[in-house]
Amino acid sequence: MSHALLEHESLEPSVSEVVLDAAAIATRVKEIGRRIELDYSRCDSELVLVAVLTGASIFAADLMRAISLPVSLDFVALSRYAPGQVRSEVRLVRDVSHNLEGKHVLVLEDIVDTGLSLNFLLEILASKGPASLHACTLLNRPSLRLAECPIRYSGFEVGDEFLIGYGLDYQGRHRNLPYVAAVQFD
Amino acid sequence: MVEATEDLSERFAHESEREFARFLDFYGVGWTFESTCFALKRDETGRVVESFTPDFFLPKFDLFIELTTMKQSLVTRKNSKIRRMRALYPDVRVKILYARDYKKLLFKFGRLNESRAS
Repeated sequence: MSHALLEHESLEPSVSEVVLDAAAIATRVKEIGRRIELDYSRCDSELVLVAVLTGASIFAADLMRAISLPVSLDFVALSRYAPGQVRSEVRLVRDVSHNLEGKHVLVLEDIVDTGLSLNFLLEILASKGPASLHACTLLNRPSLRLAECPIRYSGFEVGDEFLIGYGLDYQGRHRNLPYVAAVQFD
Repeated sequence: MVEATEDLSERFAHESEREFARFLDFYGVGWTFESTCFALKRDETGRVVESFTPDFFLPKFDLFIELTTMKQSLVTRKNSKIRRMRALYPDVRVKILYARDYKKLLFKFGRLNESRAS
């Protein structure tokens, strides 16, 4: 196995392929929004979308507008793993501002790969006493899954390419691209 | 069986295994290292002549993980062993994490240094 030593370089990725164009994303987001409407239309308590910063922010903004139900939006942020760093642990660096007790909570992710961060987040949110708790991800990468996650809504299954755009970044940039692209590093 | 990351600098043969252990520690996922050996083949006397010991076991997910090398010959051999293991132990969950997948997993957290690959 290759050593996975890290260094943060200022390499700029180049787009090798647009994996999902803006139109495909918009169509799928509307489909997911419609499904969410149907599933939650008979619920007697509020639906709260909890988007995971920063990657899911774009998805959350579009998805929320595709749902014609009373819905609230909240955000959480998790600490980020830094390869090579010892004695660090995942934690919430931003918690929800809503009281989730008795509410229907839908966690929004940009991409789920190992499922470890989503698994951690779901455990925390479950302790807040929601009426229901489910997950929705724009992109799903099951080839890297370690933790089983109850993903109720999944936009697209993707391969092992490194992806940027529509919220996904490389070193904090490229989130504003209207499409999802695979990149290569020259 | 090894259950702690920071005191085992001599226990991991590869940096990738140590890094993976740190990754699991970050998420608070308990693990053991090379804790279970599965018999794959026995001779006529019942003696184990071929076995397979996955790198990691994650009790929380009841999942064995095998990290692979970049060498195709080793990957092929491990794939073969895992196929046999799945046939012999269908209730045991084992996942092979290929080098390219593992590198991409860490890549999103920072730039992999290819020049130090082994």
